[in-house]
Amino acid sequence: MNAVAEVKDLRVEIGGRAIVDGVSFQVRPGKVTALVGTSGSGKTTTGLALLGEYPAGARVTGDVRVSNGLVGYVPQHPGAVLNPARRVGALLRDIARDQVRRLPRPQRRAAARTRVLHALSVAQLPEGELLLRRYPHQLSGGQQQRAVLAQALLLGASVVVADEPTTGQDALTKRRIVDQLAAVARQGIAVVLLSHDLDVVRALADEVLVMRGGRVVEAAPAEQLWLAPQHPWTAELLAAEGKMGDSPPARDGQAALQVEGLTARHRDGARSTKEAVHIPELTVRSGECLAVIGRSGSGKTTFARCLAGLHRDYAGDVLLDGVPLPRSLRARTREQLAAVQYVFQDARAAFDEHRPVLDQVARTAVRLRGAHPREALAEALHTLTGLGLTEELALRAPGQLSGGELQRTALARALLARPRVLVCDEITAGLDTVTRRALLDTLAGLLRDRPELALVLITHDLDAAAAAARIAVLDAGELVEQGPARHVLTSPRHPFTVSLVDTSVRLAAETRSRRW
Amino acid sequence: MIGPRSWVARRLLLGVAQTAAVVLLVFSLTEALPGDAAVALAGDQPDPERIAAIREAMHLDRPAYERLADWASGLLHGDFGTSLASGRPVSSYIADGFGPTVLLAVLTMVLLVPAGVGLGVLAAGHEGRFVDRLVSSVTLGVYAVPEFAFGVLLVTVFALRLGWLPPTAVGYGTDLLDHPAALVLPVLVLLSRPVCSLARLVRAGMIDALASPYVAQARRYGISGFRIRYAHALPNAIAPCAQQLARTVDWLLCGVIVVEALYVIPGLGTVLINAVAERDVPVVQGLAVVFGLTAVVLNLGADLVVHRLAPRAGVAA
Amino acid sequence: MKTLAGIRPGRFTIGLVIIAVPLTLALLGPLLAGEPGPRAPSFTLGGGHWLGTDFVGRDVWQQVLLGGRSVVLVALAATTLAYLVALPLGLISALTHRTWLEELLMRPLDVLLAVPSLLLILLVAAVFSPGAVGLSLLVAVVNIPDAARMVRAAAAEAASRPAVEALRMQGETWWRMAVGYVGRSIARTLAADAGVRLTGVLYLVATAAFLGVGVAPDASDWAVMVDRNRTGLFVQPWAVVVPALLIVALTMGSNLLFDAALEKPHRRKGNGCERGR
Repeated sequence: MNAVAEVKDLRVEIGGRAIVDGVSFQVRPGKVTALVGTSGSGKTTTGLALLGEYPAGARVTGDVRVSNGLVGYVPQHPGAVLNPARRVGALLRDIARDQVRRLPRPQRRAAARTRVLHALSVAQLPEGELLLRRYPHQLSGGQQQRAVLAQALLLGASVVVADEPTTGQDALTKRRIVDQLAAVARQGIAVVLLSHDLDVVRALADEVLVMRGGRVVEAAPAEQLWLAPQHPWTAELLAAEGKMGDSPPARDGQAALQVEGLTARHRDGARSTKEAVHIPELTVRSGECLAVIGRSGSGKTTFARCLAGLHRDYAGDVLLDGVPLPRSLRARTREQLAAVQYVFQDARAAFDEHRPVLDQVARTAVRLRGAHPREALAEALHTLTGLGLTEELALRAPGQLSGGELQRTALARALLARPRVLVCDEITAGLDTVTRRALLDTLAGLLRDRPELALVLITHDLDAAAAAARIAVLDAGELVEQGPARHVLTSPRHPFTVSLVDTSVRLAAETRSRRW
Repeated sequence: MIGPRSWVARRLLLGVAQTAAVVLLVFSLTEALPGDAAVALAGDQPDPERIAAIREAMHLDRPAYERLADWASGLLHGDFGTSLASGRPVSSYIADGFGPTVLLAVLTMVLLVPAGVGLGVLAAGHEGRFVDRLVSSVTLGVYAVPEFAFGVLLVTVFALRLGWLPPTAVGYGTDLLDHPAALVLPVLVLLSRPVCSLARLVRAGMIDALASPYVAQARRYGISGFRIRYAHALPNAIAPCAQQLARTVDWLLCGVIVVEALYVIPGLGTVLINAVAERDVPVVQGLAVVFGLTAVVLNLGADLVVHRLAPRAGVAA
Repeated sequence: MKTLAGIRPGRFTIGLVIIAVPLTLALLGPLLAGEPGPRAPSFTLGGGHWLGTDFVGRDVWQQVLLGGRSVVLVALAATTLAYLVALPLGLISALTHRTWLEELLMRPLDVLLAVPSLLLILLVAAVFSPGAVGLSLLVAVVNIPDAARMVRAAAAEAASRPAVEALRMQGETWWRMAVGYVGRSIARTLAADAGVRLTGVLYLVATAAFLGVGVAPDASDWAVMVDRNRTGLFVQPWAVVVPALLIVALTMGSNLLFDAALEKPHRRKGNGCERGR
């Protein structure tokens, strides 16, 4: 098969620094080519080069050729490329209008319409007519993604670039996205997948290019790469993946936090409807990690916020050493505040952008333990370096740290309270595989070093949950299953857990042959 | 939790509260007069006869709540009370001034949107270049200038120096449509601030929209620049402007008063200014209710239209 | 060409040049004006009067020197007053957790917002005949609802960020969160709003004076000069044109200046990409 697109010796330079250097590859029709790497590896710049787009002020050398010049693009958040003020049909109609220009005027309208509806049905949106009249915010995430794919199909793209399509998604959503991209490839379209999610790459890719620091360190057919990685970086990348089933054993440690008959109401993000979270009974034990898993909107974050005292609107009790915690942070004593600490999902938004992170970390010790400011600073620095940050990084403002570094800083800030319970809300979401693995290892290290500590890990990611000793599963606000991780992940009982675990396992194990 | 219907209901409720507030505020003016209202209103040489007449005309001997009830129910029937200065009903003042003011307002509104949107789109299309810098600087500068200063300078140039246009509408009566030349300067002055504000908003909105991921996607897929600008970017730039347009209602009402005073147009603004000068409280109250309620209704209407047009605004409200 | 603060020197310089003349005249004029001379006939040119005489035969140049101070001082006083009330009002309603308190503070302002500002000023003027102090109070009052809403919106946005919850988890004091974080986060927005508001207040003060509110009929005030000398426009245009130009320069210059000074650091978009083989 001939290549539909070819990149030859691409070099992209910004301010004298090469962010992509000497990249060459070909993509073939009906095949999936994956560019894999951590953030900053240059995979997005390379992918956008296929679309003829480069960062501002970039100096570009090399050659990018696409056979018919038509390239489709599916961004990480498909909603962003749908015009919020226009109905979904607006851009689709405009794309089709250009294609029917040669027809006599009276026939154009109907012809364009047929083309649009055809593209929608190929993109698995059967109720096209209805959908065209909707505004983007009235579509579900899945429908938005399909509508964006339909644009590429309607265009007649020979190559579709999908940029991190599964980042931050739960296993069931990932499954759906993988199926869609596979269907696109079956249309004979070349798919270029930019991702750090190895599960998805494994499930889809025919060819894999591993990128690091702007260069391709290894390029090979998928199966060959999985079985016998040549480059040490590839091996490290593969090793960073979680291995399911090797969860630590659940021990019957002392109960640190007990939840009894908790019912809370929460807002479900986009649709702003209120839903209830119901946890009849749950125990968080010292010295081990409890993972709370569920899809987005299942209420797991609301539950975590109840524990931390950030969500006051609930009935029932959260007991610390048998004593009910006050619902509001205001009413908690200094000791109670220190005992249950919380690490936020969006680390960047959780810091004051004007002050150096070291000062902000140190304040915990000053306020919650009455430490002298100088001692607090020393302790903060000690904790930060213990988590792998340098003194030079600690003196910077949050804006100058990476996402992974900021999450570690946020951990340090909570740890300075010497908490009994540490609640971590989706702290690995949006991080690339290697960074995520390192952060999960850090959490495991915390448990080793502080036997009194109990961890509550809120996540949608079964990989991350596999690092926990116990797992609680939330579905639509209900606690549907809980138990030792080894049991839940290997022999789930509730149908929802079964489907969640199943999809993950299949996604991870899927090979090329099974798709055909 | 908050559906669109309940948003509309809440906005309507606010409109009702605002109406009540305007009526109460206007009424409370007579109550706020220091000492005996009739004496205070009688002027510099109060003779007992005039004081008695004022007390009679404004029913000052009756308790406040009764007068409020009477006045408010009168408003519903179009009875605004009687002028202290002339003894004519206030409604006749309003009827006299209505025509010229509505003519000015309508002309301004008709010209405002195309002029403002046109300038904004023009500037955004040349972002960072000479045309943009010129339009941005001029709109930014003029936007802050009081109408009377701007208007008087225009009169000096176009009426005095060049002699192209009449300096005021004196001598044309209320039928201004027959003398379009007399309307040019007033409408131009009235437009100056709202056009600048609208143009700046449209420009900012267009620049944001043109830099957005959805416009990038349309460009990627080969849509023509013309369609991208007008069919894809402009609707996004317009939505926030529509909300701001409601605020210019305030400026237009203020502007009408100043422009009528400046160009001696016998509209509601002139009637109001004269009544203020003569401390003819019933006339001031009647006109204040008309102006105040117009503002309330226009604000309400604009909000509802925006809510209908920009479906996402409802989520935010 | 950009300076460190992201200010484009062009517009800043233009604003500065435009506002320099009226501001200097307004602040230093009264010191240079000297004693009023004897009255001459109305609306004459020449005769030792550089800019002629006004409607009651006073020297126009002397009136110009005297007439700027009131506009500038009343506007500054009104803006300051409006913020003195709006800041605590907006901050408290944004940071309180008691919904009834927020409603109590903000709802009445929502209702007031619908009344056109100049109308409110005229209404009160019809009854009270306020002086300069009264006018500053009035202009401040009509600006409070909008200013308080702005403060509240900015503060509520800052207060809803996870950073504030993180501070609460650290057991920080209310003051450190309200002033140290929220206050600092909204400072730039507030400064920008204050600039815009001062320009709006200048507009309102000048317009009210033109309509005869808050000033004596023969006051030495640029806006009053424009109004009273209009009758002689054809005989003696300087008595109108000079104060009108000064007001235009004052308002236009302040708007250009504030806009340039408070402009967010400019983002350049990607179109400067060079392509080589």
